[in-house]
Amino acid sequence: MSSTEAPTTTTETEDTAYPFGPVSVNEASRRYAAIAADRPMTKMTMPFGGDVWVIHRNAAARQMLGDPRFVREPFRTGERVVPYFVEFPEFLKTTLQFEDPPQHTKLRKLVQKSISPKRVRAMRESAVEFANHLIDEMVAKGSPANLVHDYAVALPIQMLANLLGVPPEDRPKFQKWSSATLAVANMPEEEVVANMTELVGYMMALIDERRKNPREDLLSDLTNAQHKDDTLTDAEILPIALVLIIGGFDNTANFICFGVLSLLKNPEQLKILLEDVEGVAPTAVEEILRHGRMAFGDTVTGGGGLVPFVATEDVEIDGHVIAAGEAVLVDPASANHDGVAVTDGEKFDVRREGNPHLTLSYGLHHCLGAPLARMEMQVAITELLKRLPGLALAGEPKVDKNNLTEPVVDVPVTW
Amino acid sequence: MPKVFYTQPHGSERVIDAAAGDSVMSTAVTNGVTGIVGQCGGTLSCATCHVYLAEDDLKYFDPPTEDEDDLLDCTASDREDTSRLSCQLILREGVDVHVTVPDEQA
Repeated sequence: MSSTEAPTTTTETEDTAYPFGPVSVNEASRRYAAIAADRPMTKMTMPFGGDVWVIHRNAAARQMLGDPRFVREPFRTGERVVPYFVEFPEFLKTTLQFEDPPQHTKLRKLVQKSISPKRVRAMRESAVEFANHLIDEMVAKGSPANLVHDYAVALPIQMLANLLGVPPEDRPKFQKWSSATLAVANMPEEEVVANMTELVGYMMALIDERRKNPREDLLSDLTNAQHKDDTLTDAEILPIALVLIIGGFDNTANFICFGVLSLLKNPEQLKILLEDVEGVAPTAVEEILRHGRMAFGDTVTGGGGLVPFVATEDVEIDGHVIAAGEAVLVDPASANHDGVAVTDGEKFDVRREGNPHLTLSYGLHHCLGAPLARMEMQVAITELLKRLPGLALAGEPKVDKNNLTEPVVDVPVTW
Repeated sequence: MPKVFYTQPHGSERVIDAAAGDSVMSTAVTNGVTGIVGQCGGTLSCATCHVYLAEDDLKYFDPPTEDEDDLLDCTASDREDTSRLSCQLILREGVDVHVTVPDEQA
């Protein structure tokens, strides 16, 4: 090489600007890795609530999520607006997600017994049975089908209904309430309030009923938790039930869809899964949680992430000081493609071991329904692809951007 | 430097040089040991770092607290007398620890 030529490297230099996009899926994966290699975090100004540090590196994200000096009290009390893309629905700030210890510890302890790995294991058989029942119905109706409506949403709602003790035939109501109460655009305030009132009325009546006539379900457990200091008031039970009901199925349904789409896009990975379903399903689901969002659509926009925290004092994370009063959040898409934590992060590998993804968060506020979500994804994705090996897309999938969880609303499939 | 011996359900073993003060869970997670999730980061709220502690090593640790005991009833794989949550097993100088990872974690 002559001295006047620019030096060449084997890898292209990636743009490390953040936020970015929309860019192609592969480019997004490479950019996330390049940004994480460049710096642990970026300060970003959000459309609501002002500035927030967005953490890119996996280890730095875990350090922040595991540090009790980061809290959510200022958001809960209304002292501060949550820095986010949309205005956070008011009622969500009354839920467990926005509590700090010791109240958080008390509430979480009570709920997690009912949704623990052990309890979820006991639900697996009924999930398999219900998944097959839904597939039977789809087949009987004939293709094409909307995988979201006929399958991906129906399964988690059934499981949640069983767990909480709400009648599954009320499923259409939950979907309506969920889309209204998590609406972030294009819905008049009166309609949101009317739906919220309806949902609260429904749940209060059910809580009252379970207090009088307890059954084997989460609401009965909560209403009858009387030992030690564990007694819960209705005002404490209601937000727990609400967050489980309306937060619990859209996200799971989304990832069931992302899983199916990822596997259809990567037939060699689907083959590996189908050759040893029991052995591969657990790692496949972790990989779908890590990278599955990339199978949806042709482009990815980088920016934002999980619900933020506020620093109660100056805290140094990976060489950066997050000052007292500053907000911070984790972008799981970045952390899931950080080259230090994940090798070849742009590859979808259903056998990836020790997958460090942060899609379900980490620490005190990690996803309460994680064991349930994992089981439902394993069951839903594998049962569907075992039963319908010829499954194929019959049109473009669609997402609803007017809802906080951005639910996938249409995945047309044939088989 | 304490060593931790992690045995997988099918019998393979990994030995990690750990640091005193770290937990058996954090050592596993940092080093990518399969089968220990530790999703709550050691805040006793997930039951996904369940291990079976070697009987000979039980004496090195205090018995489970009430909170750990409650959560041990919630693990995906069956609880045994040697069951512990590995986030509560804090390593110290001069003590090597042997654990077996259960079949299922979450």
